[in-house]
Amino acid sequence: MKFINVNMSTKTIGVEDVPQEYRGLGGRGLTSVMINEEVLPNCDPLGPDNKLIFAPGLLSGTPLVNTSRISVGAKSPLTGGIKESNAGGTVAAALGRLGITAIVVEGQAPEGELSFLRIDTKGNASLIPAQEYKGMRTYKLVEKLLGIYGKKTSVLCIGPAGEYRLAAASIQSSDIDGRPCRAAGRGGLGAVMGAKGLKALIVDQGGKSADAIADPKAFNEAAKDVVKAIKADHMSGNVMAELGTAALVAPVNSMGAFPSYNATKGVLDGWENISGEAMAELIKKRGGNTTHMGCAQCIIHCSNEFVNKKGKYVTGSLEYETIWSMGGMTGIADLDTIAELDFLCDDIGVDTMSTGVAVAVAMDAGHKKFGDRKAAIQMVEEIGKGTAFGKILGNGPAAVGKHFKHDRVPVVKGQGVAAYDPRAMLGNGVTFATTPMGADHTAGNLVGLYLTQQLDPLKPEGQVEASRFMQIAMAAFDSTGLCFMASVALFTPEAGEAFLKVLNAKLGTELGPDDFPGAIGTRILKAEREFNKKAGFTNEDDRLPSFYYKEPLPPHNTVFVISDEQLDSVFDF
Amino acid sequence: MKMRVKLYGTLSQQVVGYRHSQGIEVEIPDGARVKDLLARLEISESQGAVVIIEGQILKANDTMRGGVPVHILQSLSGG
Repeated sequence: MKFINVNMSTKTIGVEDVPQEYRGLGGRGLTSVMINEEVLPNCDPLGPDNKLIFAPGLLSGTPLVNTSRISVGAKSPLTGGIKESNAGGTVAAALGRLGITAIVVEGQAPEGELSFLRIDTKGNASLIPAQEYKGMRTYKLVEKLLGIYGKKTSVLCIGPAGEYRLAAASIQSSDIDGRPCRAAGRGGLGAVMGAKGLKALIVDQGGKSADAIADPKAFNEAAKDVVKAIKADHMSGNVMAELGTAALVAPVNSMGAFPSYNATKGVLDGWENISGEAMAELIKKRGGNTTHMGCAQCIIHCSNEFVNKKGKYVTGSLEYETIWSMGGMTGIADLDTIAELDFLCDDIGVDTMSTGVAVAVAMDAGHKKFGDRKAAIQMVEEIGKGTAFGKILGNGPAAVGKHFKHDRVPVVKGQGVAAYDPRAMLGNGVTFATTPMGADHTAGNLVGLYLTQQLDPLKPEGQVEASRFMQIAMAAFDSTGLCFMASVALFTPEAGEAFLKVLNAKLGTELGPDDFPGAIGTRILKAEREFNKKAGFTNEDDRLPSFYYKEPLPPHNTVFVISDEQLDSVFDF
Repeated sequence: MKMRVKLYGTLSQQVVGYRHSQGIEVEIPDGARVKDLLARLEISESQGAVVIIEGQILKANDTMRGGVPVHILQSLSGG
């Protein structure tokens, strides 16, 4: 239970026990509460006063399955507000096994200087000069690092986009096979890492000093019930292993809510060519893996390895949100092109979602035509090369809109939307508008409620309440290290009780259902809202772009009808 | 009443020889409901099936109609 504090200005590293006020917090809960307490709200996100915090979840490093999510937090250069972006892979479990609650990076290296931060098997941290890796893309970088430090090493790193300090730069996370194909993509945290002068965080996976579990017997018993619930759920126990998150392409298009051609239509022409079903068929035919273990301790295996016609690895894992941003928004109904774009983004170190939306805005502005595959690839390559236009694109959709003087830009708080159109899924619009993170698919996504017919996606009644409930729940779950695919199986009373028992057995607490997710999620959201308010955000920032209120979306031909007053009531707590 | 049905998620695995490009033709009695169609295809409740016609999610007791493509999917959450 310790913090590793790294000052990039002085090149000093300190270790301390977790301060009392932060005990019992992990993941997003820890990053958001700390940033609200310790980061100057008006600081330059790319300056020395910002803090970049890496925090594994409360359960990361324990034997519980699917708990290797790491939260990365800072003030965002994309939104100007608080940001938590989390990623899978192996690093959260590795840090948890070392008893490291958080790594807090502050200060700033001299311009152009790069370092690695390495944590060895005993938990000792050191800064290592990394000048020779300047400009290196992530796949090559991680291959080299695993060659030096061994295959049982976890890496979080930035590519050229992070070094350029672009506002959509990601932090890439290595998977089980040592590929940097997972991402803390949202909010430009790769730019914060680049501004600090930190090229990579390198963590040995062999740690054996995890924090003690308060009640191991109770933990193990309840953990078995959690596993049973995950395996019994048709999504986490079946569909994810067969199709991965790409399984969502069919339902969201069938519902007319798949934002296409820069959110001018709700159904993509030819979407069946890029569906999860089509992708699985193609991968199988080519000899790739439709199911794959991407993260430590995973029993769901939602990952895949996309291969080309010769059976050679192109990218992994091709996910729903990327298929949408690079396919739906751009009008490119071709999996090979989407896979190439996904690889490029991971390799350059830039968010696939923001980048896809940025490309789509450029196309909508007339720079290129929708569906132009070569143009999309060339544009993304420009980010890696650091051309003038590449830097505009890598700064996200709002920067592209400004460049072309084009005002159809689907962003909230500067961050590009996700793969659910607010006009055909009103509650997701409520979440996009109000989450402190900027438009975000993980902050409180209601598609599951729509598909299970608990809520009508096109009627305003109940959307605010559902978004509020889900935003609170997600803030709490984002603090545990549990992956979303597992958490969906825990919304039954029995499974929820089992998870609570696991949490209590780990922490030695007696949290009840009102505490988790309720009180914990609420505390986190309050801290995030407080930071944003201090940074200058007002209710006017909790709005969707005007075209959502004016332009009907085919095929339902509806607009976003949730009033400002309703949006302002989301956080009435 | 005949209808053209496409199955998504893992539902197609239980129909031998299913070809996604074509889907399958299903015949159910006039006035049959959504739950009758699912029973006809031996899709169980635990599979989380969702029937969508022309962008509308149907409820279990809604009456089926012919002449339009039917999508049967599985409920999923997103995040």
